[in-house]
Amino acid sequence: MSADGTIHARGIRKSFGPKTVLHEVDLDVACGEVCCIIGPSGSGKSTLLRCLNGLEEVDAGVLKVNGEDFGYYETPTAYHALGRKRLAQQRTRIGMVFQQFNLFPNMTAQENIMAGPVLVKGAEKRHAAEEAERLLASVGLRGFGHCYPAQLSGGQQQRVAIARSLAMDPQIMLFDEPTSALDPEKVGEVLAVMKDLAKKGMTMVVVTHEMGFAREVSDSLLFMDEGIVVERGDAREILANPKEARTQAFLERVL
Amino acid sequence: MLQTTGHGSERKTSVTDPALKPRLRRRGAFEYLAWALCVLLGAGVLYSVSTNPNFQWGVVAKYFTEQTILNGLMLTIFLTVATMLLGTLLGLVLAIMRSSRIKPVALTAGVYLTLFRGTPVLVQLIFWFNIAALYPNLTLGIPFTDIGVPVDINTLMSPITAALVGLTLNEAAYMAEIIRGGFSAVGKGQIEAADSLGMGSWTKLRKVIIPQAMPSIIPATGNQFIGMFKETSLVSVLGVAELLQSAQLIYARTYETIPLLIVASLWYLVMTLVLSYPQSLLEKRYSRSTSRLPRKAKKAVLTEPEGIAR
Ligand SMILES: Nc1ncnc2c1ncn2[C@@H]1O[C@H](COP(=O)(O)OP(=O)(O)OP(=O)(O)O)[C@@H](O)[C@H]1O
Ligand SMILES: [Mg+2]
Repeated sequence: MSADGTIHARGIRKSFGPKTVLHEVDLDVACGEVCCIIGPSGSGKSTLLRCLNGLEEVDAGVLKVNGEDFGYYETPTAYHALGRKRLAQQRTRIGMVFQQFNLFPNMTAQENIMAGPVLVKGAEKRHAAEEAERLLASVGLRGFGHCYPAQLSGGQQQRVAIARSLAMDPQIMLFDEPTSALDPEKVGEVLAVMKDLAKKGMTMVVVTHEMGFAREVSDSLLFMDEGIVVERGDAREILANPKEARTQAFLERVL
Repeated sequence: MLQTTGHGSERKTSVTDPALKPRLRRRGAFEYLAWALCVLLGAGVLYSVSTNPNFQWGVVAKYFTEQTILNGLMLTIFLTVATMLLGTLLGLVLAIMRSSRIKPVALTAGVYLTLFRGTPVLVQLIFWFNIAALYPNLTLGIPFTDIGVPVDINTLMSPITAALVGLTLNEAAYMAEIIRGGFSAVGKGQIEAADSLGMGSWTKLRKVIIPQAMPSIIPATGNQFIGMFKETSLVSVLGVAELLQSAQLIYARTYETIPLLIVASLWYLVMTLVLSYPQSLLEKRYSRSTSRLPRKAKKAVLTEPEGIAR
């Protein structure tokens, strides 16, 4: 069986200077699973997510993404960081959606979506443009291709950002608080796209404060606090009956 | 047209709409005084300049389009364009090196910037002109082998070469700082977005970083260009017959020092004014408020999303 779309992390440790942000975090995501990560601010959710696609270098631990050692190769004595080319290649199989969208402001929506396929994979422009149109339509933005990010609302920008990641045909999608920078009435349109994606069987890891989304869409849930996974398991189960005191306290505050 | 009456009841219908009445700026006594002084001073200077025979305006007119002067002007323009082009290219390389993650590379660029920005251009120019005193015979070749071409530095470092080398190396240091400043204005999120798509460093630089850094780099480069036009006058000390040196060559012969300096100054002034116009356009184009949208942006026609389905 192919290991595409899986994540297996064991004992991930990450420090910024003297401050340890992740203590021995384990994470397993199966193919097609939607995993939500919740927790208070500063608990290391973003850092964990960023480790999964190499935006942060892991200090220690084993990380396998899509069945491959991610970001390093192993010899009997050590793990060696991969060259940039190789790392970039592994990254193309993981999509990342940011809180602040991070669309390229110098490119139209269509060019943003084409950027990955054309500039990284060397796809043919005409073909990539057609694909971009299709993706735009799939996130409900047919005909918005010529708009620059500054001409789009936050919700629209975020949907373009999702389409941009999808254009690389990733096996895994990572979302870092994709709706936190949005006006409340725009949250729904982005969540709808994400639900749609989950239904299609995309492996997703989502850092979110949207408990409704977690309850409705998520298969598994991780509650993190101070760099530790405090509680994990079935999403609905945890949201309904949290076992740990810290989880209970957190859920009481946000629900 | 404009009617003002003491009694509100007598107001005619043709009275200017209150919302359209001009609002007059308050002018203080100081402003009137400043105007008066300015006019007086201007008139005084003009009178003196036009009546003092030592200005020799006839001589100025005679030499203004003299061939020697025009040749000098051409050389000045050439030096400006050439050093700005080479300096910008080298500056780009230095800026990239300076922001490299590899320490020795970043350090090398850092030392370069410190040296070239920390010493006067004039000294640098004279230094390059006399470099043969340090290395009379340089051999270009492969180290530790006999293969190589000997180069006589004395003949290589002609005044013009020294001028080009000196100005370019110096300008590169300043351009590097400008370009690096532009790079650092590009948000971290942009770099992360490019990284997460798996873009290589070169693509990232060309398609994401440089286009977004341009709005701050271009106006600053325009300023450097205008500055360089005048900075080239320094190479006159090397005996390069650019604009100033051409003027000096003539007055060394005729002793008409002041008129010829005026000729050179007028040319510098004219060229600076000519260059200022495109510069102001560049600044306007890339100013904060207008650079939010790329210039090819069409007016957005927003339609309702058509529902989410794939
Ligand atoms: N580049 C960095 N350098 C130093 N410290 C960092 C860096 N990135 C994150 N941190 C620290 O690591 C800790 C965890 O940060 P992280 O962004 O992962 O938290 P988070 O759970 O995503 O919080 P939030 O909900 O506010 O986004 C924080 O205390 C933060 O200050
Ligand atoms: Mg975060």
